[in-house]
Amino acid sequence: MKINEDWLAVIIAFALMLLAIVGVIAPAWVKF
Amino acid sequence: MTTAKAPAKAQSNNLAGFLIGLAIVVVLAFLARWLKIQVYGAKLPLGIPGRALEYPLWAAILGLIANWVLKTVNIYDFVKPGFRTELFLKIGLVLLGAGISFKVIITAAGGAILQGIIMVTAVFFFSWWLGGKFGLADSLRAVMSTAVSICGVSAAIAAAGSVLAKKEEITYITALVIVTALPLMVIAPLIAGALNMPEPIAGAWFGGNVDTTAAVVGAGTIYGETAQKIASIVKQTQNALIGVVAFLLALYFSVVVEGKKERPSAGVIWQRFPKFVLGFIVASLLFTFGLIAKDPGSAIAAMKDWAFCLAFVCMGLELSVVQFKKMGWKPVIVYLIVTLFNTLLALAVSWLIFGWLFPASL
Repeated sequence: MKINEDWLAVIIAFALMLLAIVGVIAPAWVKF
Repeated sequence: MTTAKAPAKAQSNNLAGFLIGLAIVVVLAFLARWLKIQVYGAKLPLGIPGRALEYPLWAAILGLIANWVLKTVNIYDFVKPGFRTELFLKIGLVLLGAGISFKVIITAAGGAILQGIIMVTAVFFFSWWLGGKFGLADSLRAVMSTAVSICGVSAAIAAAGSVLAKKEEITYITALVIVTALPLMVIAPLIAGALNMPEPIAGAWFGGNVDTTAAVVGAGTIYGETAQKIASIVKQTQNALIGVVAFLLALYFSVVVEGKKERPSAGVIWQRFPKFVLGFIVASLLFTFGLIAKDPGSAIAAMKDWAFCLAFVCMGLELSVVQFKKMGWKPVIVYLIVTLFNTLLALAVSWLIFGWLFPASL
């Protein structure tokens, strides 16, 4: 099944947000 | 045996190409970030602030250079699956939503809807009329008018589906959009700075005038944080009109151009609706209700910048000018005239709406 790119972007973004909220991704690691 | 193995081999080649392409994009994004840090505080000739050379510019330039190198050594097609401008951009936009209060979206969206309707209608019909005067094919001017009036690449693709445009017409318009949007991404913030434009008005101007969402975000990033937010809201509001325009175009081509009796379904409006906008709104609601605290918030903001940086690298990597030679320069002239019209009209409209009717405050 091919997933729509829009939904894929939403899933990835929310997964990243969740990881940041639970502290798995710390601000220092992703500093831009 | 050979026939069974062939698709499996092609699939593993695709995966390898995707991973190598992705690795190239990531390395270039790191390089763009490094260049930004080196130049940010520097004083440049002609009074150009180092800030004008923000990461979107470096990322796009590095992407363009890599584009040329990869084509020269003949591995471009192999690694191309890893170049995903739209995907990275949409991830960045959803993450951006996690830093914008919903009140701001509501305030800005009021002006953005009004601006979007004025801009899309005026620019679409001006482009359609001018394309007709220059004798462009109906399908080409439909794709061009949608691209220039709504949001560049994705609008061009949506319109192409509605009018059954040729593949080379889409590639051609996509290249035109990027070639025009890249310089505008840098020039528009410089003009806004010279005019002392407040950030919300400048953001609304970028959102209404620069043709592709990636370059809109780039221009906003160069001008300032508020400009980036307003530019993104305005552009996404405009993007939401894609479905309506795609439906109307399909209806026009089916009934008027092809003389068919059956009507296209209005379901195309939802089908073409950019669903990531919903993710952007939900992320903003999470932020507004305090579900995203300071620390995760700063990690999310940084990941947003990374996603945008990857998108800008891909924008440079995906540029293809092959179709220019095949299709001639007439459409280029039309496109440039319409872009000038779009720029001036958006300047007046954004000043009127965001400076006077709906002054957005962050």
